[in-house]
Amino acid sequence: MNFIFTAVLMLSIAMLAVVSPESALSSMLAGAERTLAVCASLFAIYAVWCGLSRVAEKSGLSAGMAKALMPLTGKIFASQNKNALEYTSMNLACNLLGLGGASTPYAVKAVRAFEEDGNFFAQSLLFVINATSVQIVPATVIALRAGAGSASPSDIFLPSLVCTVFSTAFAVGLFIVWTKLKKFKGRKRFKKSKGQNG
Amino acid sequence: MGVIIPLIFLGVMGYALFKRVKIYDEFTAGVGEGARFTLSVLPCLAAVFMMCELFEASGLSAMLEKTLAPVFSAFGIPKELTKLTLMKPFSGSGSLALLTEIIKKYGADSYIARCASVCFGSSETAFYISAVYFAGLKKKRLAIPLIIVLFSGFLATVLGCQLCKFM
Repeated sequence: MNFIFTAVLMLSIAMLAVVSPESALSSMLAGAERTLAVCASLFAIYAVWCGLSRVAEKSGLSAGMAKALMPLTGKIFASQNKNALEYTSMNLACNLLGLGGASTPYAVKAVRAFEEDGNFFAQSLLFVINATSVQIVPATVIALRAGAGSASPSDIFLPSLVCTVFSTAFAVGLFIVWTKLKKFKGRKRFKKSKGQNG
Repeated sequence: MGVIIPLIFLGVMGYALFKRVKIYDEFTAGVGEGARFTLSVLPCLAAVFMMCELFEASGLSAMLEKTLAPVFSAFGIPKELTKLTLMKPFSGSGSLALLTEIIKKYGADSYIARCASVCFGSSETAFYISAVYFAGLKKKRLAIPLIIVLFSGFLATVLGCQLCKFM
């Protein structure tokens, strides 16, 4: 991220210095301002779902659900950390139900809980699953097409499902292969390559 | 579908009531957690958004779009979708706006609009998610997982454009 950020920033600023130097500062300010708008909506989502999830946690509801899924999630995420697995199961459940807003706080909590064990594998796997989208019904898109007067707004359901299942399965597969390869390569070479990747 | 959310709330609240949880106290504490999460991602998002704005303003993104359009076409992605494909990993609201525009311009049932809908629905804003999930952690060895995610997203787009031809 350090590399990408520095490279894109410097290239863009250099370009702007030639094309229109006065817009460099204003675009940075615009970006920072957009952050506040996004954070405001992010907080709205968090306020609703973190509030509810805390109630679910204290009543033992999410622990019960997580326990039922534990044999599966524990194996997939190679972890025995009960809290982390609880958050992970809730995240996956919310994703499948299409509650994108509710799933994010659980994922953040899960990533932080996995951090305690230094379980980088589980953190990345959770990221890969969430970032490739596991939504079953693309509700926003269907609503948008219906609004635009489509004859059958939900006819994209099947191709969307095929694509999302494919991308998630492919990414997870690739990630697991990469993890295996990294282990196989051994510690010394891993240290070398880590310097290049970071 | 819409009834799911009220039902979840009623179910959780009802069960908590039965378990004698102090609902107001816990709900408030949860909102507090949410506030702390929001604050912890703010610096990362600010940096990423500044980068995006500069990238757009400098004309580099338009140049990239122009360069990549023929490459994407070679993979079967229509050139009208180049910008959406590039935008999706960075910005959810930006790509939603683009999708709305495409649907309006080409008609909801056109091939282009259907491809765009499938591409939009089948991937997520990877950069945004990585900033939110990994904010505040010491070690951020994210490069490889991120590349894997972007690569699979691209393949899914290629697949989606083919599927839309007959599905």
